[in-house]
Amino acid sequence: MLEIKPIFNALCRSKVGAVLLLIQIAITTAIVSNAAFIIQDRISYLNQETGYPEQDIFKFNVMTFGTDINLSQQFELDESMLRKMPGVVDAALSSSIPLSGGGSASSFNLKPAPQEGLSVRTAYFFIDDHAINTYGVNLIAGRNFTEDEVLVTNEITQKRTNVTIVTKALLDELYPDGDGLGKIVYFGDLPLKIIGVIGKMKGPWLKDSKPDNLAFIPYIKAASYAQVAVRTKPGQRAAVMKEIENAMLENYSKRVINNIKGLDELKNEYTAQDRLMMRMLIVLITILVLITALGIFGLTLFNISKRTKQIGTRRALGARKSAIVSYFLVENALICSLGLALGVVTAILLGKMLMQYFSVAALPPSYIAVTAIAVFLMSLLAVLAPAKRAANISPSIATRTI
Amino acid sequence: MLQMNNVSKVYQTEMVQTHALRDFNLQVNEGEFIAVTGPSGSGKTTFLNIAGMLEPFNEGEYLLDGVNVGSLNDNQRADLRNQKIGFIFQGFNLIPDLNLYENIEVPLRYRGIKANERKRRIEQCLEQVGLASRAKHLPQQLSGGQQQRVAIARALAGKPRFLLADEPTGNLDSLMARQVMELLEQINRDGATIVMVTHDSELARRAPRNIQVVDGQLADFTLYQGAQTIKTASGV
Ligand SMILES: Nc1ncnc2c1ncn2[C@@H]1O[C@H](COP(=O)(O)OP(=O)(O)O)[C@@H](O)[C@H]1O
Ligand SMILES: [Mg+2]
Repeated sequence: MLEIKPIFNALCRSKVGAVLLLIQIAITTAIVSNAAFIIQDRISYLNQETGYPEQDIFKFNVMTFGTDINLSQQFELDESMLRKMPGVVDAALSSSIPLSGGGSASSFNLKPAPQEGLSVRTAYFFIDDHAINTYGVNLIAGRNFTEDEVLVTNEITQKRTNVTIVTKALLDELYPDGDGLGKIVYFGDLPLKIIGVIGKMKGPWLKDSKPDNLAFIPYIKAASYAQVAVRTKPGQRAAVMKEIENAMLENYSKRVINNIKGLDELKNEYTAQDRLMMRMLIVLITILVLITALGIFGLTLFNISKRTKQIGTRRALGARKSAIVSYFLVENALICSLGLALGVVTAILLGKMLMQYFSVAALPPSYIAVTAIAVFLMSLLAVLAPAKRAANISPSIATRTI
Repeated sequence: MLQMNNVSKVYQTEMVQTHALRDFNLQVNEGEFIAVTGPSGSGKTTFLNIAGMLEPFNEGEYLLDGVNVGSLNDNQRADLRNQKIGFIFQGFNLIPDLNLYENIEVPLRYRGIKANERKRRIEQCLEQVGLASRAKHLPQQLSGGQQQRVAIARALAGKPRFLLADEPTGNLDSLMARQVMELLEQINRDGATIVMVTHDSELARRAPRNIQVVDGQLADFTLYQGAQTIKTASGV
């Protein structure tokens, strides 16, 4: 038997506890729905496809201090040594490493500088014809570089690089009509013909405004500081990583090999803050939900001890135990519904504020709805045990206490 | 209407065992008005609680309108309380957050009576206890005597055949006590059976039948006779 009206009237007459709880429920709903959305957003950010077999790729740094060699030649030797190592699929000198948070970006233009024309921001790697195989990415159109197209130099030369391989994202942005393959783009005033398209690979910065724009440019400028990317056969990366320093030093010893890191590890370092924030948000909403549940639990217990005599009297007047339980459930549901109504409005406002000041995406209504339902169920759960306790109050209390 | 045969009630606490009722025997007939007196702690409230099915008893047999109360489950007892019994408490036991109308409505809602019928009965009962104009007041806005009259209205609203009152005038001054007593007498004349525990010997004497509880048992049959005499004398 639901007796909403008298319960509501009674609530209105002693509302302090109820109002506090209502506010708590509203705040919980507002914060939890927004936090849940941000967490979900972070999770999909952290778990996004990067296009790379991250578990099979690692990189290392080479700092050469010896001056008795030709660096370009040495790297040629190193690369062919690495590619022959057991367990290695391919390796390449790479001017920057994807997902690492460090790299170079510029713009590709439809017209040579200084002419005005469509200009698209993109990250780029100077890397040779082993790029696609080393990074394990997917060439979906066109072709790879030929060995001849790769310019290896550490002197000033008249020879120019004149081709590039770009991601589909970059190509589509430059040529929205889909006819970009084979066209010329300008890297500053350097014309590059687009000869190949990679389906998907992320640049160095997942948080970049254009994380999917990346171009390979076949140009190797040997320097005393260099980074090398290596892809191994599945499951053999750790073994190769362990040997890499010795193998490199055996080739030539006047240098330091360090920063040997897996691509997944680099990504984890880059996203460490996001994961920390996510964990903190999870802790925050867990605590909030627990506090709210405890609040409901406590308020119900308090109400019961305050109303012991009333409950006994109701039982004496003919209330079944179930009527007492339903009284507290209905009372809680009333407070909760009002709290949720306020909470939904607050959640929307909070979402708008986060959108405005922290450039978070718009909070989808489904998050508010699911949170509201969850808070409602939790509140019913929190009130159930105290309500059952109330139902067990003996009706004889009515005559035994003054 | 009510029959108790050798009913015993023992309260077991950590330290002591209290025999609140021992081999208690009583028959109450339809339409009686009984005043129960006795020393404090003699078991009057215990008797009333058992009569009203507010607590279980340990031994014996209790028949209410021929129904063996001992065999009922909790819901059945609650329903029976709701239908047959009206309670009046020493402390009034009005629900502080409900106004008078809503207070009287409580047992009617438990019985599942429709809203317009509830309204009719509540207004009638408030009228009967002289508080019709106060329906929207909260209990704390009334005097003790008025509160007890509301409690009586609440007990009456369900049209119970059996009214149990535990020191209904215990918290009232003598003028208010007399008003409440008159109200109860009126209700008894209208057909309800009343059992009233009281300390007030003057009020007790106004009841047609007196019983005394001493040490958990019915004492002194002569009082019953005395009451009979008064009853005859008053010509009722
Ligand atoms: N809940 C209880 N637990 C233990 N003892 C109780 C309880 N209720 C009553 N008693 C004891 O039972 C005896 C009878 O009590 P009660 O019926 O309230 O007496 P009266 O109403 O005549 O004053 C008293 O000794 C009292 O202390
Ligand atoms: Mg008593």
